[in-house]
Amino acid sequence: MRLLIIEDNALLRDAVAQYMREAGFIVDTVTTGDEGLWAASENPYDVILLDLMLPKVDGMEILRHLRKKENPVYIIVISARDALEDRLEALDSGADDYLVKPFPLSEALARVRALLRRSYGKKSSVIKVADLLMDPVRRTIRRGERTISLTALEFRLLEYFLYRAGEVVSRTDVWERVFEDRSGGNSNIVDVYIGYLRKKLNAGGESDLIQTRRGQGYILEESTP
Amino acid sequence: MKSPSIRHALLFRCGGGVGVLLCFLSVLVYLLVRHSLHREIDKAIRQTAEMLANQVELENYKVTFEWQEGLASSDAMVLEGLFQIWDEQTGETTRAPALRSGDLPKFDGGNSKPDVRDIHLPNGDRGRALGLRIHPFALPEEMERMRISGKVIDPKSLSYTSVVARDIEPMQRTMEHLRYMLASGTLLTLALGFTLINRVIRSSLKPIGELKRQMDDRAEHQLDARLNVPGELPVELAGLAENFDALLSRVAALRERERDFLRHAAHELRTPIAGLRATTELALSQDRTTGEYREHLTVCQITAMELGELIQRLSALARIGQAASPVVMEPVDVGPVVMECTARFQQLRRERGLEFKMEFPHEPLTASAEGTLLRIILNNLLDNAVSYATPGGTIRIHGGFCDGQVEIRISNPTPKFPDPLDRLFEPLFRHEPSRSDAGGHLGIGLTLSLEAARATNATLLARRTDEGCIEFVLKLERGFHIS
Repeated sequence: MRLLIIEDNALLRDAVAQYMREAGFIVDTVTTGDEGLWAASENPYDVILLDLMLPKVDGMEILRHLRKKENPVYIIVISARDALEDRLEALDSGADDYLVKPFPLSEALARVRALLRRSYGKKSSVIKVADLLMDPVRRTIRRGERTISLTALEFRLLEYFLYRAGEVVSRTDVWERVFEDRSGGNSNIVDVYIGYLRKKLNAGGESDLIQTRRGQGYILEESTP
Repeated sequence: MKSPSIRHALLFRCGGGVGVLLCFLSVLVYLLVRHSLHREIDKAIRQTAEMLANQVELENYKVTFEWQEGLASSDAMVLEGLFQIWDEQTGETTRAPALRSGDLPKFDGGNSKPDVRDIHLPNGDRGRALGLRIHPFALPEEMERMRISGKVIDPKSLSYTSVVARDIEPMQRTMEHLRYMLASGTLLTLALGFTLINRVIRSSLKPIGELKRQMDDRAEHQLDARLNVPGELPVELAGLAENFDALLSRVAALRERERDFLRHAAHELRTPIAGLRATTELALSQDRTTGEYREHLTVCQITAMELGELIQRLSALARIGQAASPVVMEPVDVGPVVMECTARFQQLRRERGLEFKMEFPHEPLTASAEGTLLRIILNNLLDNAVSYATPGGTIRIHGGFCDGQVEIRISNPTPKFPDPLDRLFEPLFRHEPSRSDAGGHLGIGLTLSLEAARATNATLLARRTDEGCIEFVLKLERGFHIS
């Protein structure tokens, strides 16, 4: 899951970014409005945390521009402006949520997760496919009675597949949404990590939930006997 | 203590005034009428007395009262008149028939002068009487006859006292009636006057009540709202209401400014507080190494210091011009102060590739100023110039005398001008809406400068020059060193 934080205050930006990273997200940060607009337009983000008072391009302008271009990204406005008019203006301009500074990081995280669930059409915070159960809040994974331990990257990878369970996910999608360092090539690394994941998920001799669709990508679904 | 009432004051003063005037007029009317009637009566009595005196005649060595001849002719004056004559030699008295056997009081004014006084008539009625010492008159032929006969009686040796009276009982009753009428009329007029005046005052003071009601009915959040002045408000109250409205407008502007300032200040404090809170929450969200904790705490400390500076500047802004810290003006040579202030910004100037160009006269530039506030003004103006000047540009600092004042101009090239320029002096205003421009400026410096200038009777304005520079002009009162 990939987040973009557009905030000019370094202290707040860095703290939120680190908190989100520690919660398992890939986080990009930018300082100015023009950088934020460029990043949001050029990259596929799940959620953007957007400050309103930004240098060069105002946050409200970024919001309007993205919505005008029909960018479907979820946007949480984080602003020191607490007046009702400001909140209404932001929400009416296309913001999905509004957080007034100062706010608890845990609340920001919960709101990001809520938007993610909405984004992938999930109601429950716990994701289940067949006997595979993931709790993104507690960061636990079980398969049947067995607890599975994953690295941060593997967890992110599985979380993405679970959110998109039943859909074919291309390698490019996986590469863009799950991998933080994308400086090298992609196809092999994605395949390698999916291999690691399969090994850990099927370590108890269970059926393989991640299927390869040749030329298309992967799909996570309950295997039919 | 009970406050005096305009209505009561007007009522009692107007009513009292009208009452006193009415009483005075009533008494005057009464006295005039009385005097007039008395004069008429006195005149009539005097005429009667003169007629009677002329009818006492010395004839054939005896005195005769010719009026007695009128008894037979039913002369009204004789029959109805009230008079009595005393013979001073014999003590005999002769009365008018109307007196019957009653006597009038006997008096005279002495030396043949009449005396008029109020008396009681024998029948008990009140009367007016004239007393006069008279002597009989003798015809020249009678005197001649006495001289021939050798027996002359001098009429002057024969004295009579004549008292002529008039019954004034009817007039007195009329006067009493008049007195009663005047008193009643006065009281009635006074009562009606009080009622009328009261109504007039009430109706005249109604607009005051209306204004008071408007003020009483105000909610807490409407205290500085303008009055809804009624159209028919009297001119005296309209002026008062307009002045009050003007005062309210000033209060409203002040409150608006305070609200803006508080809103800006609260807004300004929110972001660093959010950062501080996020940093501490992040640090506490899981167990970390000592190094990580140290890193977070360092960030928190820096932020706390920044917040402290922001609060100090806000406090300084709030304190300037307060009565608790009166500004003491003294002669200050501005040139050395400018030099001292520019020295603080030399490093930043070099970093940004800027140049200072100073233009100051040789003679001292003495202004009437307060040293600390002058430094606040200059430091903030220079800080602004060095921070916002286009990199590589020249900052011009000019000092001199202009229109009897000391003028300091600081200009720098800038790519961006706020519109209007005065916005620069708004609290927490920045060229950029973000907090990251110009190295973390707080946006209070120019506001502080303006407030400090005002507190020292100086003026500070910003203007755009033809060269595309922004120029701040500080004008200080000229000062004189006492030698």
